Amino acid sequence: MESESFSHHISRRFNAELEHLRSEVLRMGGLVEQHLDTAVEAIISGDSDLGLRVSNDDHKINKLEVDIDEECRKLLATRMPAAADLRLIVTVIKTITDLERVGDEASKIGYLASHLATGRTQHAAYSELKALGEHVQEMLHDALDAFSRMDVDDALAVIEEDKLVDEEYDQISRQCISLMMEDSRTIRRFMDVSWVARALERIGDHAKNIAEYVVYLVHGRDIRHTEREAVIQELEAAKSDRPVSG
Amino acid sequence: MPKVWSWTLFRYGAAIVAGGCVGLLYGRLTLGLLSVALGLLVWQLYNLYRLERWLAAGQITEIPDGNGVWPPVFAKIQFIKGKAKRRGKRFRKLVKELRASTEAFPDGGVILNGHHEIVNYNQAARVMLGLKNRRDRGQRIENLLRYPDFVDYLNSPAERQAVEIPSPAGGESWLSCRLIPYGPDQMLLLIRDVSQRVKIERIRRDFVANASHELRSPLTVIMGYLDTLADDELFPESWKEPVNVMQEQAVRMSRLVEDLLQLSGLESGQSVSKGNVVDVGNIVTSARKEALALPEHPGSIGVEITSTANLLGEESELQSVVSNLVANAVRYTPADGEVTISWTVDADGGHLAVQDTGIGISEEDISRVTERFYRTDGGRTRQRGGTGLGLAIVKHALRRHDADLEIRSSLGQGSTFVCHFPRDRLTLS
Repeated sequence: MESESFSHHISRRFNAELEHLRSEVLRMGGLVEQHLDTAVEAIISGDSDLGLRVSNDDHKINKLEVDIDEECRKLLATRMPAAADLRLIVTVIKTITDLERVGDEASKIGYLASHLATGRTQHAAYSELKALGEHVQEMLHDALDAFSRMDVDDALAVIEEDKLVDEEYDQISRQCISLMMEDSRTIRRFMDVSWVARALERIGDHAKNIAEYVVYLVHGRDIRHTEREAVIQELEAAKSDRPVSG
Repeated sequence: MPKVWSWTLFRYGAAIVAGGCVGLLYGRLTLGLLSVALGLLVWQLYNLYRLERWLAAGQITEIPDGNGVWPPVFAKIQFIKGKAKRRGKRFRKLVKELRASTEAFPDGGVILNGHHEIVNYNQAARVMLGLKNRRDRGQRIENLLRYPDFVDYLNSPAERQAVEIPSPAGGESWLSCRLIPYGPDQMLLLIRDVSQRVKIERIRRDFVANASHELRSPLTVIMGYLDTLADDELFPESWKEPVNVMQEQAVRMSRLVEDLLQLSGLESGQSVSKGNVVDVGNIVTSARKEALALPEHPGSIGVEITSTANLLGEESELQSVVSNLVANAVRYTPADGEVTISWTVDADGGHLAVQDTGIGISEEDISRVTERFYRTDGGRTRQRGGTGLGLAIVKHALRRHDADLEIRSSLGQGSTFVCHFPRDRLTLS
């Protein structure tokens, strides 16, 4: 059973191609998720080998991005899709860019983890970093779930989560600053810690972007840079006059 | 012929004869017969109409009455309908019981079709995988379970028994997933919660790693003092021998600790990356040099390298694989024996073999020699040095390189240890 909005094509090949495209994006998403999991694990356990492996293992994600991009281009050229199909392809092109960036940020975290691990002492701000890491992992996971289920409610929940992540990030950087002022020998270390926090916060933003694309995919409304209340209002309105689909 | 049919036939015959007689009476035989036939036709049509109406109305209405062949027809249909209804009821009850029992099953089960789309699942699977009721039916399973390991397994289930993934519902739990194909294009995905086992395994690994690490520092102190004592000229002569023995044992123990540490490191990791090229010639030559430096070694240690292909992986680990295999071979081969290290590449991949003409391994021991501290025969082999961890290290390091270890041996005939590397671990020029 293909998802409802693109299930009724005369060409079954086209259906299969769209379904395959979706699966490929989610496969890439799975890879990125695992990448992020390993990076966060490297930070939490202070495992420098693990960290280095993440930072060297980015090429698979990059290759998938290139492949999916190519597939999208082919579909656009040969099928000339419209409405929901066009939205799916546009969404895919945008989503993979964000996913690739998440991969880059995860590699950066892995690299920083290999640095931080050599210090051996467990750093302050550690539990906050762990909490932020887990929060961001969950966001990315939920955003991808929302994409595979085409679930707008879940997507909106992810967008809302981003605010909390931003707050957590602010807290960690404040903490880092005060710790650096206390003891100037730790500046280098806490610079690294705040870089990790920064990377995690960026990943949260990318997850939010992906969630926004899901809303666009389902309702055909671009909700970037819009206030939440306005978004919900607009979506309510959109329910009564749904965009042409299929 | 049933009575009702002969009676009906008789009545129809009588009606036609009566119609014919009346027709003859008025001199219009054809008209008489025709009107009777027409009457009968209308009567049948009427009954047919009632049958159709009755069937269309479902089972609630009473059986229509009538006469002739119609009542038994109605009755029989009623009977069949009743039987079907009872059977349907029984069937529904069975399905309900079946569903209740699968719901009660502590392991998760998901039914997938040929496209990996979710057809059905039980309560346990819903909780473990974080599925959403109804909405996730028809969704491809790999869209929700995106772990690369799982997706690989799904696409080629024949290669592995099961795969372990962290639970998508979050937390520390781990799930073991197993695919069981059945029927055409149907698969059952069995999911078991193995968090407890994974956790215990991790605790054990951490314990070994930490314990070995902690043992290292006191050992260093002891070895330091023993060195000083051994070199001390003023030390009584009678103590020389005990100190030497202590020194030997301390060295042995520190080797043991090093091996344990290395092993616990190898155990914890997954596949190593294919980023580094490892020169096979180099590691083989240096393993040979190490072996020749041992106090007792066989007269000939040969090297046969027939391919220029190199390996992709971690140099230190592959080095330790070859060194351990060679050291092992040397240890069990007499001075007039032979050890040969060879490297060949064919369509299946790369094969690194270490062959000796030593004492060999009996058949029942072959499957066990890679276990930690397993000795084919206690006292004798311990004197040959070695920690009893060499082959375990080899096994784990090879696993991290997606390679297999094959052991061919029989007692008195020498042994051959072959490492089979898959093609994608090779640099083929």
